[in-house]
Amino acid sequence: MQPEVIIETRSLSKVYRDFWGRQKVRALKSLDMEVRRGEIFGLLGPNGSGKSTTIKLILGLLFPTSGQALVFGQDAREVTKNQRIGYLPEESYLYKFLNAEETLDFYGRLFNMPRAVRRQRIADLIEMVGLNWAKRRQLKEYSKGMTRRIGLAQALINDPELILLDEPTTGLDPIGTREMKDLIIKLKEQGKTVLMCSHLLADVQDVCDRIAILYQGELKEMGRVDNLLKVRDVTEIRATGLTPLAQEEIRLAIERNNGHILNMDNPTTTLEDLFLKIIRESEEHPGRRVRGVGERT
Amino acid sequence: MVLDLTDVTPFLTWLFGLGWTDGAIFGLIPLIVVLLLVGGGATWLVAAIRRGRGATSPRAGAIVSTAMAAGIGLAVAGIVVWLLLPAKTTAAIQPAFLDGAAWLLGSGWYHGAVYQWLLVAACAAELAFAFGWLASAVRHGPVVAFATAGQLAGDAVLDTLRISPRRVAALAGLAVKESIRRRVIVVFAVFIVILLFAGWYLDPKNPNPARIYLDFVLTATSYLVLLLALFLSSLSLPADLKSRTLHTVVTKPVRMSEVVLGRIAGFTAVTTLLLLPMSAISYAFVQRGLAHTHDVLIDDLQPVRGSTPGQPASLQGRTTVVSAHSHKVFVDSATNAAAVEMEQRHTHSLPLQKITVGGKAMYRTGPAEGMLVARVPVYGKLAFRDRTGQPAEKGINVGDEWTYRSFIEGGSLATAIWSFQGITEDRFKDGLPLEMTIESFRTHKGIIEKAVLGSLLVRNPSSDKNKPVTVEIFGAKDFAIDAHKIPRQWQTAGGKKIDLFKDIVSKDGQIEIWLRCDDRGQYFGCAQADMYLRASDASFAWNFVKGYLAIWLTSLLVVSLGVMFSTFLSGPVAMLATLGTLVAGFFHDFMLRLATGQTLGGGPFESIGRILNQENMTAQAAPGVATTVAQTLDAVAKFGLYLLAAVLPDFSRFSLAEFVASGFSIPGDTVLTYACRTFAFVLPVFVVGYLCLKNREVAQ
Ligand SMILES: Nc1ncnc2c1ncn2[C@@H]1O[C@H](COP(=O)(O)OP(=O)(O)OP(=O)(O)O)[C@@H](O)[C@H]1O
Ligand SMILES: [Mg+2]
Repeated sequence: MQPEVIIETRSLSKVYRDFWGRQKVRALKSLDMEVRRGEIFGLLGPNGSGKSTTIKLILGLLFPTSGQALVFGQDAREVTKNQRIGYLPEESYLYKFLNAEETLDFYGRLFNMPRAVRRQRIADLIEMVGLNWAKRRQLKEYSKGMTRRIGLAQALINDPELILLDEPTTGLDPIGTREMKDLIIKLKEQGKTVLMCSHLLADVQDVCDRIAILYQGELKEMGRVDNLLKVRDVTEIRATGLTPLAQEEIRLAIERNNGHILNMDNPTTTLEDLFLKIIRESEEHPGRRVRGVGERT
Repeated sequence: MVLDLTDVTPFLTWLFGLGWTDGAIFGLIPLIVVLLLVGGGATWLVAAIRRGRGATSPRAGAIVSTAMAAGIGLAVAGIVVWLLLPAKTTAAIQPAFLDGAAWLLGSGWYHGAVYQWLLVAACAAELAFAFGWLASAVRHGPVVAFATAGQLAGDAVLDTLRISPRRVAALAGLAVKESIRRRVIVVFAVFIVILLFAGWYLDPKNPNPARIYLDFVLTATSYLVLLLALFLSSLSLPADLKSRTLHTVVTKPVRMSEVVLGRIAGFTAVTTLLLLPMSAISYAFVQRGLAHTHDVLIDDLQPVRGSTPGQPASLQGRTTVVSAHSHKVFVDSATNAAAVEMEQRHTHSLPLQKITVGGKAMYRTGPAEGMLVARVPVYGKLAFRDRTGQPAEKGINVGDEWTYRSFIEGGSLATAIWSFQGITEDRFKDGLPLEMTIESFRTHKGIIEKAVLGSLLVRNPSSDKNKPVTVEIFGAKDFAIDAHKIPRQWQTAGGKKIDLFKDIVSKDGQIEIWLRCDDRGQYFGCAQADMYLRASDASFAWNFVKGYLAIWLTSLLVVSLGVMFSTFLSGPVAMLATLGTLVAGFFHDFMLRLATGQTLGGGPFESIGRILNQENMTAQAAPGVATTVAQTLDAVAKFGLYLLAAVLPDFSRFSLAEFVASGFSIPGDTVLTYACRTFAFVLPVFVVGYLCLKNREVAQ
C-alpha cells in the first residue's frame, strides 16, 4: 500500500504579473507532483527556477494562476492546514525587535498553545538549535546563522507533521549544516514529512529520498535519488579470489562463474554531474523534457 | 452620569426609531427571553462553527451565492413591480405592508439608526458580492465564479466568527511592541514640551481663560494622538509586507480577520495608553494653570458712597492683579462678610482671610470658583413677536447675512419668547437660574460705555389671556454670559406679589420667558441656544473625561481606517488616503450641499463650463447641448458625491471638545450616539480591510 499523499499539485502554474496585470514572469509551468507521508522530498534547480514559488503556492502565500495545490487534501488557501505545518522561509523573516524567547512565544500563541506547553516547547527548541546563550538578545543583533537557527526553531514550534524548508542550510557553518541534515533525518525518523528546496546538491544527495529538478519553471526530472544516480550502461564489478594471471581471462572466468563475485552493480554518478547534465541538455533543447537517466517511481 | 434615564431615551429613539416599543415583538416576548435566546444561540453557533472543519465547501458557497443572488433579485423585482404598478395600487399596498410590519416591529422603528445601518450594510454586502462575482467571472467564467463568490462570503462569516481572542491578543501585543520600538514615547515627550511652552499661546487677558486652556489641551492632545494613530496604523502592515515578516505570521493558523483586528486592537491600545496619562496631565495642567488667589490691601478699601442699609458691604476696593485681572470686592468691616465680583467668568470663594505681608494687613481671597464647570442647560423653543406685538416667524435681519441670530427692535413691542418645559418645583428649588448671551446691535453710538437696556418678563402659557410680568430690567453685556435669577417670589412695580410656581409656571410645568430691548434704536440679537436655564451643574472632571472619550473614539476610527487602507495600499499612500477621508469627513456638510444642489452655479461640470465661458455663476444656464451634457454629468457626479457623503463619517460632528471648552456638560446620549456611530463605521471598515487582505497575495 502506498503511503498517504501529503502534498499534491495538479498542473500548478504561476505567472507573476505587474500592477497593470501585464505578464512578467512565468515562474512555474504546469507542475504535477506528489509528496507522500514520511519522505524527504527535495526540490532542486538553479536560481530563479521556481522552487520558492512552488513552496509559496503550497503555503497559500501566492495564489495559482491555474491548477491547484492540495495540502492534507485541502486547498492550499485554507488556513486550518497551517496547524500541522512548519515553514522555514528563504531568509528568516522575523521581527527584529523581539528576542528569541519572545519570538517563539509569539508564534506559539498564534497556535493557541497553552502557556505551560508553550514554555516547555520554547525551552526545548532553544536548547535544540543551540541558542541558549543568546536567548535574551534581540534578533537584530543576531548573525545570519543565528537568525537561521531561530527561524528553524520557529518552524518547529507546533511539532508539525509537514515541514517546508526553503534552502535550510544557507548561512550555516559546516557544523550547523551537519546538524541541520541530521535534524532533517531525525524528523523523518519521527514519521514527519519534509519538503525542502536547495541548490546545495550535496545536502540534497545526503538526505533526500526523492527529488524533483526544476529548470525555468518546468519539471525536468523526478524520482528516487538512488535510482536517478545509477548509470545503467555501465557495470561495476568487484571481485576477489582471482589470481593476477587470471585477470586477462576475467570475463571468461566470470562467465564460467569461476570467480566469487562480491558485488555487481551500476556505478553511481554524483548528483552534481546529473544536475549539470540536465541543465546543459535543457539549455540545448529548450522545452524538451529529459528522461531516461533514471526511471520514475 | 452617562446612564441617566432622561439621557438614554433620546439615544434609544435615535438607535431604534420612534415606535418600536409598541410592536408585537417587544410587547409579547419579554426582552430578557429574547436576549437569552439570542445570546445562547450565538454561543451555540460559534461553538458549532469552531468545531466544524475547513473552509466553506463549493456547495455551501453555491448556497450562499444563491441566497445573495436571490436578495439582489428580490430587490430588483421589488423596484420593477413598484415602478410598473399604478400609483393607486402601490399606495394601497404600502400601508397594508407597513401595518403588518408595524404590528410586528412597532410603528416607527424604520426611523431608527439600527434599521438604516442594517439596510446600508445589506446593500453594501450585496454590492461586494456582485463585485466579487464579477472579478472572479472575468477569470474563471460565470458558473465557477458563482460558487467562488459564495465561498468567499461564507469564508468571511466563518473568519469573523472563529476569531481567536488569544491570537488577536498576540498580534495586538506585537503591534504594541512595534509601536514602542517606533518610539511612540516621543509623542508623549512632545506633548510635555508643548505644555511647557504653553505660555506662548495662552493669552491671560482673555475674558474666558478656562476656554483658552481647555481648547489648548484638547486640541494638542487630539492632534498628537490622531496623527500618531494615522502614522502607526497606516505604516505597519505595508512594512510587514515589505520585510516579509508577514509570511511567517500567515503561515501559522492565523486568519486574516485576526491580522486586521489584532492591528486595530494593538494600535488602539497604544492610543489608549497614551491618552490616559495625557488626560490626567492635561487636567492637572488646566487646574494648576487657572488656580490663583488675590489679595486686597485693607488700607486701600474705600467706604461705599451712599451705601444703603441692607446691603452687606460698607467698604469697597479692588484686588491685586493676578493672571492679568483683578476683582472688585465689597467688605462689611463689622461682620467681615464679603462679596467678590465676577471677572473673567469666575469669582473667588469666601471668606476672606486676614493676613499680614511685609507689615501690611491684607485680605486674601479663596481659590477661583466657577471657572471649570459643566453646565447642564435646559433649552427652550424660541418664537418672535414683531414691533406691533404680533407673532412673527423671525426677528429682523440687521444686514449681516451670516449671523444666525435674529434681531428685535428696541423701544417697541418686538419680543423674543423662549418657551420652556418640564419646570418643576423640586428641580428648581431656588428659582430659575437663567443664563443668556445676547448680542446688542447699535444703530447709534449713544454712550458706548453704557449697556443697552433690556427687560425680562415671564408669562404663564396656560391661557392666551395671561399677561407677561416683568421680572427685571438689566444692562446687556456683550460677548459674556449674563446670569440672572428668576426668584421664587417677587414684587412687581405695581406692588403685586408674584409667586413663581403658583402664578407663572403652568400646571404641566411650562413657562414663557420674554426678552425685550428697551433702548429705542438699539437691537438685541438672539437665537434659540442663547438662553437656557442652568438646571444644575454636572461634574467638570467627568465632563473632561467624556471629552477625552470622544478623542479616543475618533482615534479608534482613524486607526481602523489606516489599517483598512494599508491592507491594499502602500504605507504613504494609505496614510494619504486616511487623511483624505478625514478631511472629506470634515467637509461632509459641504459635500451634501453640493450633492443636493444647494450651491450656486450648478454642479462641478456646469461650473467648469461657466468658468470657461466666463459666465456668471448665478445666471440661469443657456439651454443647449453643452448645458444638457454638463448637467447630466453633474447629475451623475452628484449622485456619486451623495453616496460618498452618505458613507463617510461626519467628522465635523465628531468632536465634543467644544462642549468641554465652553463649559457645558456633554449630554449622555450624545456620548452614546457618538460611540455607536464610531462602531457603526469601524465594523464595515474592518470587514473591508479583512476582505482586501484575504484576497491579496501576501508574497507578491
Ligand atoms: N514577487 C515576484 N514578482 C515577480 N517575479 C517574481 C517574484 N518572485 C519571484 N519571481 C520570479 O519568478 C521566478 C522564480 O523565482 P523563485 O523565487 O521561485 O526562484 P528560486 O528557484 O527559489 O530561486 P533561488 O534559488 O534563487 O531562491 C524568477 O524568475 C523570479 O524572478
Ligand atoms: Mg528561492
